[in-house]
Amino acid sequence: MSDAGTFERRKRRTLIYLLAPFTLMLGIFFLIPLGIMAVYSFLEPGLYGGVEWNWYPYNYGRIIGWPLNDYEEFEPIYLKIFLNSVQIAVMTVIGTFILCYPAAFWVSRMKGTKKNLALFLITLPFFANMLIRIYAWLLLLRPTGFFNTVLQSAGLIIEPLDLLFTNFSVIVGMIYILTPFMFLPIYANVERLDYSLVRASQDLGANALQTFRRVILPLTAPGIIGGCVIVFIPALGNFIVPSFLGGSKVQMTGNLIERSFLQSRDWPFGAALALLIMATVVILVMFQISRQSRAEEKGIA
Amino acid sequence: MLDKILESPIWRKLFTGYGFVFLAFLYLPLGLIFVYSFNANTINMAVWTEFTTEWYFSIFGLGDAETSLDSAFVESPERIFEVVKHSAIVALCAATISTVIGTATAIALQRYKFVGKRFYQGLLILPMIVPDIVLGIALLIFFVGAGFKLSLMTIIIGHVTFLTSYVFVVVSARLAGMDTSLEQASADLGAGPFTTFRRVTLPQIMPGVIGGFLLAFIISLDDVVITYFIAGVGAQTLPLFILAMMRRGLRPQINALAVMLLAFTFVVAAVGLYLRSLKT
Repeated sequence: MSDAGTFERRKRRTLIYLLAPFTLMLGIFFLIPLGIMAVYSFLEPGLYGGVEWNWYPYNYGRIIGWPLNDYEEFEPIYLKIFLNSVQIAVMTVIGTFILCYPAAFWVSRMKGTKKNLALFLITLPFFANMLIRIYAWLLLLRPTGFFNTVLQSAGLIIEPLDLLFTNFSVIVGMIYILTPFMFLPIYANVERLDYSLVRASQDLGANALQTFRRVILPLTAPGIIGGCVIVFIPALGNFIVPSFLGGSKVQMTGNLIERSFLQSRDWPFGAALALLIMATVVILVMFQISRQSRAEEKGIA
Repeated sequence: MLDKILESPIWRKLFTGYGFVFLAFLYLPLGLIFVYSFNANTINMAVWTEFTTEWYFSIFGLGDAETSLDSAFVESPERIFEVVKHSAIVALCAATISTVIGTATAIALQRYKFVGKRFYQGLLILPMIVPDIVLGIALLIFFVGAGFKLSLMTIIIGHVTFLTSYVFVVVSARLAGMDTSLEQASADLGAGPFTTFRRVTLPQIMPGVIGGFLLAFIISLDDVVITYFIAGVGAQTLPLFILAMMRRGLRPQINALAVMLLAFTFVVAAVGLYLRSLKT
């Protein structure tokens, strides 16, 4: 009796020891900083950086275009930049999806070593430094870059094309760095696709397009949605890609946050913008989790 | 029929063809840097003039005076050794600490029943889904507010907060696929939890632990965004050095540096991925 009691107590103690480091680390260096950031977004910016501890909702007001003083007019420029960021992130999601979906089928029908090799090759670029991957596209797209030089020497164009510093170049760069994020969840789903259902649909007289739309697409939807969420999140907040491939022409919310922290030193405003991104992410993730749990319930029923 | 269509030679060829296009998209841009890094042309990298290994030497100040990093960037070659050293210290420390914490957490969640387990699973996903930039500025505000001096130390702490989750995922997968009967036998024979862990669990999950460590090491070594905000003066890492180089204009030395960094990360990541894929 007492033996079992000691055993239980020992087990509890071990569990506490195992969980304590993570709990402390996440609490102190993750949750508290995020909390402070949220508080900062409601404080007044100090004159020379830092904050004044006054209630100040105008950081959010500025985002939606509220004029700060008599000299300013209502101009929702930050909101426009945010919407442009959302648009770029959505295009990135669509682009990575179009690239990865057929590739997932290609890999899923391979066997043995070949399959492992293909998976390995697709995962590996994830570990290549993000800057270097962006740099590669800088080399490809700039006026004296690879594409323009090739097109010019082929005589197809006279003046170099403006490939760089456009929404297009930013989206291409984003697609390039985020492709592995889209591939893996889609692949995990396509891999498990039950081909007997595909066959049943065909036997019942559906044509290829109908089978795809009514059977294959719904069956692989969880992977697609998962991939879309985890591509959208880093795309929305990214500031490295637009700062190199977008130049001063393409601004994203990430650039605004960077500048308000490291240049204009208006931390509360940057914190408010970061919270706007966080809120978008939280809404998306909640949506994804509720969808998943509903799907699981259906699976049990 | 559709699966028959998919199996038909034409479709198979189409899929295979597309597969190679997909891989080409992933690797050709990086291959271009590799080719450029041996091109002697300083005016337009896209036009091949002749083969040279000059850029690889000039990064370390070993090339001709004219092409050395000094003249290109007003930056002494000693700087590069310094930033590589910084990156190595950060990546080793951050990967080690996050491997210890991540493994302990994985064991707790895989081997124990307790209230709030789902809550912990949620907490573990959190650092992976919060955008880098948000975590970066939150840490900056926190460190400055709490009076931490921005240094290699703050970078290490920042990296550990998100690397732990990656290690957790890798080690958990290994633990989940492991036979628990040996652990039970060890406990039945009177071994305490620590002895069981050291003698039975750890040897079995070792490939997962090392794999997790290597992946954490590479992610830390590559991190730009979070480091960018919490590095402070005098704690520049290699990616921040490359970032600064890229901002000052494109020079052939960047190609050579990029190729060396890519080669290193690919080798370490390949070993990490291999260890992760090992079956128990």
